[in-house]
Amino acid sequence: MEEVVKAGGLVKEFNGFRAVDGVSFSIRRGELFSLLGPNGAGKTTTIKMLSTLLTPTSGDAYVEGYSVTREPGKVRRVIGLVPQDLTADDEMTGWDNVYIQARLYGLSRGEAQARAREVLELMGLWDAARRRVGTYSGGMRRRLEIAMSLVHEPSVLFLDEPTLGLDVQSRRGLWRVVEELKRRGVTILLTTHYMEEAEALSDRVAIMHRGRIVEVGSPEELKARVRGETIYVEPLDPGELERVKNILEENGLEAHVIEGRVALRVERADTVLPQVASALQGVRVKSMSIAKPSLEEVFIQLTGETLSGEEHVDPFSFRRMIRSVRR
Amino acid sequence: MLSATLVLTWREVVKWVRRRPVLVMSLVTPIFWIALFGKSYNLLNLVQLQVQGVPQVVLEQVRSLLSQAVEKIFGTTDYFTYVATGMLAVFALFQSMFGAVGVVFERRIGYLTRLLVAPIPRSSIFFSKVLGSMFRISVLSLVLFTIGLLMGMQLKPSIGPADLLGTWGAIMLLSLGLSSLFTGMAFNITNQEVLFAIANLVNLPLMFSSSALFPLDQMPSWLQTVARVNPISHTADLVRYLLIGKPLPEPLASVAYLMALSLVLLGIGYLAAQRGMREA
Repeated sequence: MEEVVKAGGLVKEFNGFRAVDGVSFSIRRGELFSLLGPNGAGKTTTIKMLSTLLTPTSGDAYVEGYSVTREPGKVRRVIGLVPQDLTADDEMTGWDNVYIQARLYGLSRGEAQARAREVLELMGLWDAARRRVGTYSGGMRRRLEIAMSLVHEPSVLFLDEPTLGLDVQSRRGLWRVVEELKRRGVTILLTTHYMEEAEALSDRVAIMHRGRIVEVGSPEELKARVRGETIYVEPLDPGELERVKNILEENGLEAHVIEGRVALRVERADTVLPQVASALQGVRVKSMSIAKPSLEEVFIQLTGETLSGEEHVDPFSFRRMIRSVRR
Repeated sequence: MLSATLVLTWREVVKWVRRRPVLVMSLVTPIFWIALFGKSYNLLNLVQLQVQGVPQVVLEQVRSLLSQAVEKIFGTTDYFTYVATGMLAVFALFQSMFGAVGVVFERRIGYLTRLLVAPIPRSSIFFSKVLGSMFRISVLSLVLFTIGLLMGMQLKPSIGPADLLGTWGAIMLLSLGLSSLFTGMAFNITNQEVLFAIANLVNLPLMFSSSALFPLDQMPSWLQTVARVNPISHTADLVRYLLIGKPLPEPLASVAYLMALSLVLLGIGYLAAQRGMREA
């Protein structure tokens, strides 16, 4: 099948720090491809290189056959980028924002009006088109961002963390929008650190960790690589993590310490749980839980860290700050 | 390039008009400025002083002498008229600076990212900001001028359309230079506070070291040297020459100086903006 996006050995260094460290992948026409990884994994930097916003330190990428380093102008014509930030102007109406964007891509007045209406309707914003963007809900603003990126009918759409900061309901609503775009044949590259999102939407997922892609495959393929289920044991006293791990290993179980919990990989959790419980008599346990195979489990197995990794800054508080600046 | 520049300039205008509170504020501010500066320092009041024990004839003579002195220094007996005309130049300076804030802001909220992935020349982003500022300054200058008239600004009797057009031209030359410089600078700044700090550092000294509020002859010689190269002085002098007929030995020299300086600043601003837009 035809490859629309092809990245080869992309590297980006910032003052000696390798944010992206040799990333290669390709996306087929009509495919929805996700980059899944925690904040700081290099997803946004990768998207910025693909959309000509950053020049790779080394390596190159091709979109519709155009090199992002040598033909950025041609690449810009065929891509649509929905950035992480909410870029629409609060004071202007949804219509203004989309119409201006269409004019910017060289559409004539009449074309721009027709196209603005089309994308606003597609995003379910036509009724709100004449309202100031400041009155929009979070989900509406996200959809407006997508509408603004669709005015020139791009063949590839880059969605950078499209549901960041949305509540569960708006998030589902946005998923339906993305699915609709996919049905219409738009090739989509999506970045996310929500494993449910990658799982629900993607044809293929690339798991990113510290600037590298550690695994690529369909959600089913990836999950098949995690055999069985995982039991998590969290002792009341974090100082007892090693002790819990040792006890369980003495019982012939495969145990790892992952971010304050002991993880046990087992075939079937329901039959092993009683054994774990009796082995841990005398240890004060705060909680025990069972995890079915999921992309989160795949990520943990590949990297030894969780997707929401504790050491990372809360992206929401930062976003709130930005939003308060906008007021 | 032209079409992208025009679309983005139009966006600047729409944004400015839609942002009502900002629009109102930017119209109210000049009224305060000329009212406070012009009316509170009104020098004619000094001349109206009554001093007891001095014969009326002497007072009359002193008054007439003072009036002549004031007229000689300021080109008008009314300090308000002097300040109101100078404010047209100062306001162009302030609005050029404010216009540049938008650049930093749009980088922060990510709109600049959107523009940088669009197939438009980088230069159109820069030029639209400069043109946007020049448009705002044109409108605000007209408002300021009208308010000045209503508050008692005295124009020269022979004033004609050419004088008004020339005034606008002088203000536009100044705005082109300053907006280019500040906009170019803003493309290299990621933090609004830095820009405000620079604005504070630059705006007031530029205003006070010019002929906008006080004539050059009243300044110590070192300050006169600064004021002579200050484009605000040249603009203010041209505006006064055209509007109130304050004598200016070489108006064309001021025009040439403003043109040359604006072109240089335009070049500097353009290069700085290109540098600031290399990566997002």
